[in-house]
Amino acid sequence: MTPLKRKQLSRAMVFTGFTLPALVAILISVEIPFLMSVFSSFTKWNGLDRAQTFIGLENYKELILDDLDMWKAFGFTLRLTLGSVIVTNITALLLAVLLDSDLKAKNTLRAAYYVPNIISLIIIGYIWRFIFSAGFESFYQITGLEFFMFSWLGDVKLVYFSVLMVSVWHSLGFYLVVYIAGLQTVPRDLIEAAMIDGASAVGRFFRVTLPLIMPSITVSVFHSLSNGLKAFDVIFSLTNGGPGNSTTTIALDIYRTAFVINRFGYGTAKSVILFLIILILSLFQVRMFKQREVEV
Amino acid sequence: MKKLLFTLLVLLLAFSPLTAAGQEEKAGPPTLNVLFYSPELAEQYNDMVAAYKAETGVTLDITVLQTDYRSVLTSRLNSGDVPDIFMSSAYADNSTYKDYVYDLTDEAFIQELEPSALQGVTVDGRVLGYPFLVQSHSFIYNKQVFEENGITTLPRTLDEFEAVAKKLQANGVQPFATGFKEFWVLPQTAWQAIANVPVENYGGYENFVSMLNTGKLKFKDIPEMSQVFDLLDLIGEYGGPKPNESDFNDQTSALATGKVAMIHQGNWAEDSIRKTNPEVELGFLVGPTGNNAETAGLMFDSNQTIRIAKDGENLEESLAWLEWLTTSEYGRNWIPGQVKQLSPIKGAAAPDSQIAESTTAMLGEGVPGYPWFYQMFPTGTEQQLGAILQGYCAGLTDRAETLDALDAAYTKIAKAAF
Repeated sequence: MTPLKRKQLSRAMVFTGFTLPALVAILISVEIPFLMSVFSSFTKWNGLDRAQTFIGLENYKELILDDLDMWKAFGFTLRLTLGSVIVTNITALLLAVLLDSDLKAKNTLRAAYYVPNIISLIIIGYIWRFIFSAGFESFYQITGLEFFMFSWLGDVKLVYFSVLMVSVWHSLGFYLVVYIAGLQTVPRDLIEAAMIDGASAVGRFFRVTLPLIMPSITVSVFHSLSNGLKAFDVIFSLTNGGPGNSTTTIALDIYRTAFVINRFGYGTAKSVILFLIILILSLFQVRMFKQREVEV
Repeated sequence: MKKLLFTLLVLLLAFSPLTAAGQEEKAGPPTLNVLFYSPELAEQYNDMVAAYKAETGVTLDITVLQTDYRSVLTSRLNSGDVPDIFMSSAYADNSTYKDYVYDLTDEAFIQELEPSALQGVTVDGRVLGYPFLVQSHSFIYNKQVFEENGITTLPRTLDEFEAVAKKLQANGVQPFATGFKEFWVLPQTAWQAIANVPVENYGGYENFVSMLNTGKLKFKDIPEMSQVFDLLDLIGEYGGPKPNESDFNDQTSALATGKVAMIHQGNWAEDSIRKTNPEVELGFLVGPTGNNAETAGLMFDSNQTIRIAKDGENLEESLAWLEWLTTSEYGRNWIPGQVKQLSPIKGAAAPDSQIAESTTAMLGEGVPGYPWFYQMFPTGTEQQLGAILQGYCAGLTDRAETLDALDAAYTKIAKAAF
C-alpha cells in the first residue's frame, strides 16, 4: 500500500466514523418508520387490529378517484401556502429593511416581532380564538366599528383571512431574523459605489441589495413553502377545520383519517402523497431560486 | 480539588446500586396505569385515587386527556404501551377495541348494575365494558331568565320553541348559545330531533343503523331529516350575531350569567355552569322532534365506558378496583356524591344535581328517554358528520347537498369499518 493510498483510506475511515452514528440514528428514527408507513399505505388497517390486510393500490385508487374532501383540503392548503409565502416574505423583507436602518427602537421592535415565534402555535391558536370572539366583541362595544362584529372564524368567506393573518403574525419573526442577517452580509462598499454612480434608494435596493440577499430569500421561501403545506397546529386550535370543512388542511385531513376515523392505511397513503407533493414543489422552488443567486 | 471530585464520583457510584435496590424493594402493591377522559372530573378522579390508595395501598397512575384522547389511546395501544384501565364510548367502540378488552360478563359485580346501563356495552350477550355513569342531553334552560320573561309553559314542539325564542329576542335576551363550533355538539343536537324515528319507521335502532351501514337506507330517504334542519335553523337564527363561533365555554358561561336562555348540552355541563354562577337555577327541556309533542324526549344513556385491558400484567388488580368501585361504601357514593351524576349501580343515591334531578323527574312523568343511538354509527362518523352539519349551519351547503354529503361520508366510513 502506498502512503498516498493509506492516507486516503484513513481519511475515509475517519469520515465514516464520524457520520455513521448520525446515519444510524436517522435510519432508525426517520427512514425505517418512513418505509414502514409506505408499506402501511398498501394495507387496510384501523391502527388497532393486530393484523394489517394487504390491499395493493386500493388506497391510492380511492384517494385519486374518490376523495373529494381530500382534494378540497389540498386546494385550501395550496391557497393558504401561496398566501402565506407571499405575505410573510414580503412583509418580513420590508420590515427587515426598516429594522436594519438606524431606527432608535430597532432592538425593542426586533424582539417584539420575534416573540410570537417562540410561543407554541397551539397556544397562539387559542389566544386568537379568544381575541376573535370575546375580544372583538368588547372592541365592538367600545368603538362601534362594524368590522369587529364580522364573524371572523364563523364566516366561510372571512375565515381564510383570519387563518392567514394568524399564521403570518406568528412566523414573521423567524423570517425577519433571516432577512436581517442577509442584509447585514451585503458589503457597504457596493452600496456606496452604487450611490456614487447616482443610483436612487429604490434602484440600490432592487439592483444591488436584492440580488445579494437571494440566498436568504431561497431559504425563507423554501421554509415558508414547506411549513405552509404542512400547516396543522394553527388550524387545529383556531378553527379545527371549520366551519364545515372549509379550513381543513391536508395535514389535518390526514390526522383525522388516521386517528379519528381509524383508517391508518388510508391515512398513510395520503401522507405519502403529501410527502411527494412537498418534495416536488420544494425541488422546483429551490432550483428556480438558486439560478437567481449571484456571487459577490 | 481533583481528589474531592474523585471521592464524590466514587461515592456516587457506590450509592447508585443501593438506591436502585431500595426502589425495587418499595414496589410492593402494583401501580395501575389508567387513561381517562373528561378533565372536568380531574378533582373527583384524584379523590377516588387517594381513597383507593388509603384502603388498599394500590396506586392508580391516572392520565386525563380530552380532545386528543382517541389519538393518544390509539398510539399507546399500537406501541404496546397498553393502559391497564382506559375509557371509550359504548356501542361502536365495543368492536373498535375488541382485541384489547377483557370480557366482564362473568364478574360478580356486573350483577350490581342496572340492566339498562349495560345495553351499550353488551355484544351477543357478552359484557365488554363497565358503564361509568348515566348521562342525558337535551336543552338546558335558565329558570330565572324564563321567569323574568314571563315564559310559564315550557316548549315541547318546534313551533313552541320558536315562539319562546321570538318572545325572548323581543325582550332583548339572546335565546340560544349554539355550540356550533364544537363538532360533537351538532350531532347531539341533530340526532335528538329524529330520536323517535328509528323505532317508529325502521324497526328499532339496531336495524336502523345496520340499514345505514349496508347502504339500504340513506339519510336523504328519511323524510324526518327535515326536523333536524328546522331545529338547526332555529337555533342558528336565534343564536346571536356569531352563531358559528360559539363553543362549550361560551355556552356554559352565557347560560350561567343569564345572557342566553337555552343551550343544547348534557348534564356534564352543569358543573361548569354552577362554577360560573352558583346561584343559577337550571332545568331540562325536551328536545323537539318536529311538531309532535308526544315524542319529544331526552337522550338518556350510559355512554362513557371503562374498559379493562385483557393482556395487562395487572388484570387481577384492575378487576379488584372495579369491584371496589361497585360494592364499597366509597365507590357506591362516588358518582352520585362527588361526580354528581347518575350512577349505573342498582339502588345508588340520587346526585345533588339540578339536571340529574330534572332528568329523573321527567322520565318518571313518562317523557321518552332515548338511547344515544348515534354512538352505534361506526367510529369517526361523529366528527365527520358533525363537520358536515357545521357546514350547513355556516351556509356552505343547502339541505339537499348536506344530505348527499352525509350519505357520502357515512358510506365511506361504513365501508372502511366493516
